[in-house]
Amino acid sequence: MSDTPVLDDRRKKERYEALVDALYQDVYRYAYWICKNSALAEDLVQETFLRAWRSLDSLQNDKAAKAWLFTILRRENARLYERYRPELVDIEEQSIADSDENEPDQRMDRRLLHEAIGKLEKDYRDPLMLQVIGGFSGKEIAEILQLNNNTVMTRLFRARGKLRRVFFPDSELTDDFSEDDTFDEQS
Amino acid sequence: MEDFEFRKRGLANPNDSSEDFIAAAQASAERTQWLQDLQALDARVHAAALSIVVPAGLAARLKSQADPATTTASVTPLPVRSRYQRYYAMAASLVITLGVIMSSGLWTARPSAADIKFHDDIIGHMYRETPRIDNATADLSMEEINQVIEAAGGHLREDERIKSAHIKFANDCNVVPSIKGAHIVLEGTKGSVSVIMIHNSPVSTEFDVNDPRFQGKIIPFGQGNLVILGEKEESLESYETLITETFEWVI
Repeated sequence: MSDTPVLDDRRKKERYEALVDALYQDVYRYAYWICKNSALAEDLVQETFLRAWRSLDSLQNDKAAKAWLFTILRRENARLYERYRPELVDIEEQSIADSDENEPDQRMDRRLLHEAIGKLEKDYRDPLMLQVIGGFSGKEIAEILQLNNNTVMTRLFRARGKLRRVFFPDSELTDDFSEDDTFDEQS
Repeated sequence: MEDFEFRKRGLANPNDSSEDFIAAAQASAERTQWLQDLQALDARVHAAALSIVVPAGLAARLKSQADPATTTASVTPLPVRSRYQRYYAMAASLVITLGVIMSSGLWTARPSAADIKFHDDIIGHMYRETPRIDNATADLSMEEINQVIEAAGGHLREDERIKSAHIKFANDCNVVPSIKGAHIVLEGTKGSVSVIMIHNSPVSTEFDVNDPRFQGKIIPFGQGNLVILGEKEESLESYETLITETFEWVI
């Protein structure tokens, strides 16, 4: 027996709401790191979820929902905003959570990290945030960014290499990679 | 594994759990220390990336988009501000940010992440309850109202202002799953005015709700919280005064 349209609508809505509850925070935070502006990030997330709602039937496997949403978000960002504005560098202070348990030096450390992440070139920041916020593997990041796996891994090691040079400038084991160094996956 | 290869793989994924990488990390004390430092930095990067404050009420706003009527692609998309409006908005945001920084004491008055979660739960509850609230027409007695409020650990004192108010809805609420709260609704001049009482940890500061439809406040009140919400056009000050002067916790 087939379900009634009303029941289908209700199930679709429940599925969508479960998706929102599970993923809206990660999607917002990734959106924020893409555009570094809270108002733009919120608009992006709303557009993303609206598109997700409209095409929810095309999502066959809920386990793939996060990668699906992140991909929609990236497309929406490219469509709506990316070409219209320059890259913002500064992080909005009010966007950083002020956790009660953090001591002042920890809060300062977090602000310095925000600045350092924000100053990474977009090509490096993007895969790093997909790995850190999304928890995606190199292969999954490659699919989302439509790059090959070696390129993703190269960008990831360069991103962390840059952060490491900021926070460990005097380390004995320096990460003296050149821009020509790439990640050649061992077969 | 050569040192250069080891460091590249470590930087690409400090938590690489493949056997050859772990063996390479254990090949020397220097490498082990390098990887531990990198993993510690990565944990800080992770915490920093996740410390971005998610706007209050966002989940409820996203859920409110889920209208079966918007399934088809022919529906008008959400309005998107023009690039110029965005630049103005960003400039205004910068001015406001500077104002916040310059104002003394406001940094410590910001709601915490837990407060924002509570706010989001309240807004979600409001959207779920709105159909019932809008259809409510009863004129409840003080006894009926206090039966609900007392189950949540509170009491509303009899007062001429309360007696003359039209309270059309009183029900327990489960905004905080483990704590029974009370939700009463008064008839306002522009629609329903909700008052929610919950005997949970008081929010760190009184703050306004942030929602496209509702306005109101979350107020730390004794050993719990009072929430007063109404439509955007409603003047809520008199309701806030009325409730804060007549409500008390009794547990």
